[in-house]
Amino acid sequence: MSNQKKRNFQIEAFKHRVVMDPKYADKTWKILEHAIHEIYNHNASGLSFEELYRNAYNMVLHKFGEKLYSGLVSTMTGHLKDIAQSVEAAQGGSFLEELNRKWNDHNKALQMIRDILMYMDRTYIPSTQKTPVHELGLNLWKENVIYSSQIRTRLLNTLLELLHSERTGEVIDRGILRNITKMLMDLGPSVYGQEFENHFLQVSAEFYRVESQKFIECCDCGDYLKKAERRLNEETERVSHYLDSRTEKKITNVVEKEMIENHMLRLIHMENSGLVHMLCDDKYEDLSRMYNLFRRVTDGLSKIREVMTSHMRESGKQLVTDPERLKDPVEYVQRLLDEKDKYDKIINLAFNNDKSFQNALNSSFEYFINLNPRSPEFISLFVDDKLRKGLKGVSEDDVEVTLDKVMMLFRYLQEKDVFEKYYKQHLAKRLLSGKTVSDDAERSLIVKLKTECGYQFTSKLEGMFTDMKTSQDTMQGFSACHPELNDGPTLTVQVLTTGSWPTQSSVTCNLPAEMSTLCEKFRSFYLGTRTGRRLSWQTNMGTADLKATFGKGQKHELNVSTYQMCVLMLFNNADRLSYKEIEQATEIPASDLKRCLQSLALVKGRNVLRKEPMSKDIGEDDAFFVNEKFSSKLYKVKIGTVVAQKESEPEKQETRQRVEEDRKPQIEAAIVRIMKSRKQLDHNNLIAEVTKQLQSRFLANPTEVKKRIESLIERDFLERDDSDRRLYRYLA
Amino acid sequence: MHKLGRGHRDKLQQFISITGVSEKVALQSLKASDWHVEGAIDFFYSQPQFTDSRHLEELYNRYKDPYVDMILADGISLLCSDIQVDPQDIVMLVLSWHMKAGTMCEFSKKEFIEGLQSLGIDSLEKFREKIPYMRSQLKDEQKFRDIYNFAFGWAKEKGQKSLALDTAIGMWQLLFAEKQWPLVDHWCQFLQARHNKAISRDTWSQLLEFAKTVGSNLSDYDAEGAWPYLIDEFVEYLNENGIIQSGLIIDSTLKR
Repeated sequence: MSNQKKRNFQIEAFKHRVVMDPKYADKTWKILEHAIHEIYNHNASGLSFEELYRNAYNMVLHKFGEKLYSGLVSTMTGHLKDIAQSVEAAQGGSFLEELNRKWNDHNKALQMIRDILMYMDRTYIPSTQKTPVHELGLNLWKENVIYSSQIRTRLLNTLLELLHSERTGEVIDRGILRNITKMLMDLGPSVYGQEFENHFLQVSAEFYRVESQKFIECCDCGDYLKKAERRLNEETERVSHYLDSRTEKKITNVVEKEMIENHMLRLIHMENSGLVHMLCDDKYEDLSRMYNLFRRVTDGLSKIREVMTSHMRESGKQLVTDPERLKDPVEYVQRLLDEKDKYDKIINLAFNNDKSFQNALNSSFEYFINLNPRSPEFISLFVDDKLRKGLKGVSEDDVEVTLDKVMMLFRYLQEKDVFEKYYKQHLAKRLLSGKTVSDDAERSLIVKLKTECGYQFTSKLEGMFTDMKTSQDTMQGFSACHPELNDGPTLTVQVLTTGSWPTQSSVTCNLPAEMSTLCEKFRSFYLGTRTGRRLSWQTNMGTADLKATFGKGQKHELNVSTYQMCVLMLFNNADRLSYKEIEQATEIPASDLKRCLQSLALVKGRNVLRKEPMSKDIGEDDAFFVNEKFSSKLYKVKIGTVVAQKESEPEKQETRQRVEEDRKPQIEAAIVRIMKSRKQLDHNNLIAEVTKQLQSRFLANPTEVKKRIESLIERDFLERDDSDRRLYRYLA
Repeated sequence: MHKLGRGHRDKLQQFISITGVSEKVALQSLKASDWHVEGAIDFFYSQPQFTDSRHLEELYNRYKDPYVDMILADGISLLCSDIQVDPQDIVMLVLSWHMKAGTMCEFSKKEFIEGLQSLGIDSLEKFREKIPYMRSQLKDEQKFRDIYNFAFGWAKEKGQKSLALDTAIGMWQLLFAEKQWPLVDHWCQFLQARHNKAISRDTWSQLLEFAKTVGSNLSDYDAEGAWPYLIDEFVEYLNENGIIQSGLIIDSTLKR
């Protein structure tokens, strides 16, 4: 075994310094300098990359990096100065081409030089924090070529001129522009900005300012918008072709500002072609264009919305207050529905279903529909008309569509309780006269109302339907019980629960003997199975079918009201009757009787009675006869059906009063509810809470609420606090 | 004798002139209430008073109605002439308040006797002496409010909830003559022209608040101030008739 010591090999540096021959540095530099010249003169093919790289490497290694670097700078600068001169010398159109060509050359050269000087780039430059070669090349180009006094402005002007020509319709060389702008971007975004973009934007702004001014003087709104749109598209396209993509937003902002923002109001309000005009004429395309363009600028859409809202409100207001329209409620409501449809379509097609516009529509409709206090009544009449005849033969889906549209209008009403009152009245008449087109449609609407307003709203209405059904069953039981009555007159009874149906005062009326016995039989039948109930005959709401034979043997079946039946039956026992006699015999109230007689004697085609004298008014001593000469093409003649009509002035007052009366207990109930849960609450908050609670039915009047509060204080439900008189306390 | 400062001596004189008691008793009461004259008066009267119940019976019998065990209108007029007070004088209201009388123009035996006892009266002399004291009570804010609110229940018909308008107007004119509310006449005119119905308790009591807190030019009237509806209407009425126009008094007969 060897016991040799392990020996580490050590390599030591040369003990003596090897100094490069200073002349060596010069010589090496001269080689490289020459190479650079050759590269710039397009003679690079004869050079050896490897050799040049080694030379550069050696220089840096031997600490001659400084010399190399500064040599590079001066050499390159020299070349660039030459290049600048040649570019300056270029004439007219070839200026840009020359510049572009030289730029390409420079880049190629730079690439090669950088490769050669890679070692310096990686070692000398980082340690001395000098600019790397590539960047240096760009900077030198910028300083010597672009910033050259002759080139700088000329470059900018050339570019701007070209752009201007293109804007005015000429065709230009886009390729060269693309290269130039790319060059500027390569030199640095700030260079691009300063040398080109900023000026470009400024000049463009001026251009569009002038152009928009020119257009707005001579174009109408629609055309102007088309032009603006076209310009925007142009600019976008321009950017994509030969400008930096970051310019797009900036230039479109400029166009938007100059062409749209500065002229927004003028465009909207332009006579004969502005926004209002477009709305009225359903110009979907123009509106859509306006929407899309205005969307781009701040407040653009809100301006449109503002004008649209005030227009809707104004035209809506005219609609609801126009006395012509008010004559026909069904027309009135149809017009409202048409307006709604129109604007829905506009918002859908032109305004991109924008929610804020939808809201504007809703608030406008709510505003003007409630301007007319008769709107609830009219909407109910519209529904009545549809359910009586309007929806005859219409498919189920279409029925649903119509009812949904009506519900939309209903939602806008502030006084929903007024609607309820009228709807009840109209529904009662429809049900009792059997004049409803479709039971399903009726029920469908009730369901919709229930969904909208809650169970309470519709419970009475549903009660009415139930009563109708129950009555049918009752009638079946009655006829089963009294088969002997099948030979005589047929009696059909509807038994109405008082609370559900609109209140009617009971009136006097003497039924003919045949009828009254029948009615008595029914009464005892009904009360026989249901004790504790009270029945009263509503003779003002019934109908009758009579078979009549006239003078020449013409037979007709007459469909009349109960009152009319009573009157006509009298003539079975008398040929001539005076008004007084009729009044005494029937005991029908005077005003109703007069109306009844008028409808029997004075209406052409329905004059089953003759009156002497032939005047329109009914006098005490007027005499009535059967009109033996009565004729009608139809066998069945309908006289005086009880149709729902627009109320007369006094009737309207009465209904309104009843609604007000009904509201009082509702307000009180709300107050008590709130105070019970809060135990104490101050005046203003109480009023606010009550109003909110009642909102779904009607708009509570603060004065009325105050009166109710006082009434409740009086009845010891509430008291005022001793120290703070604005505070109310609940008394259990 | 104690050395009294000028201020204390004045107060002593005042006390004696109102209550008619001796200096010694007056001093006691004043010291006990730290030399506040009104407090001293209250203190003095709230002390259990010695009254001769026999004398009280006698007094009662003097005024009681021959047929009913109550003092009615005749008895009251006799009482008034005895104590030298006009029956319409507001001090009669104060007296009724002390008696906790249920209705005007009649006193039950209990009311009469207990009322006089609490005032320390068992003779006509003492009665007459107490009159100034009773008048002075109207000057106290809190007492005036109590008396005012008492007046509603007292003046209305038995079994009614509200006060008849005519009676209310009479009472208001009486009470506010004392308290000096400048708008009282306009208020009464307004009621007769527009309202013509009975007055509720709430309206009655709130009117006092209104008269006290809202200046007579109505510049600090707050429409949201939870005033009864009638008062809101009154303000409207004043504005409509040009009596008050946004804070300025047009009617020169109104005292500021």
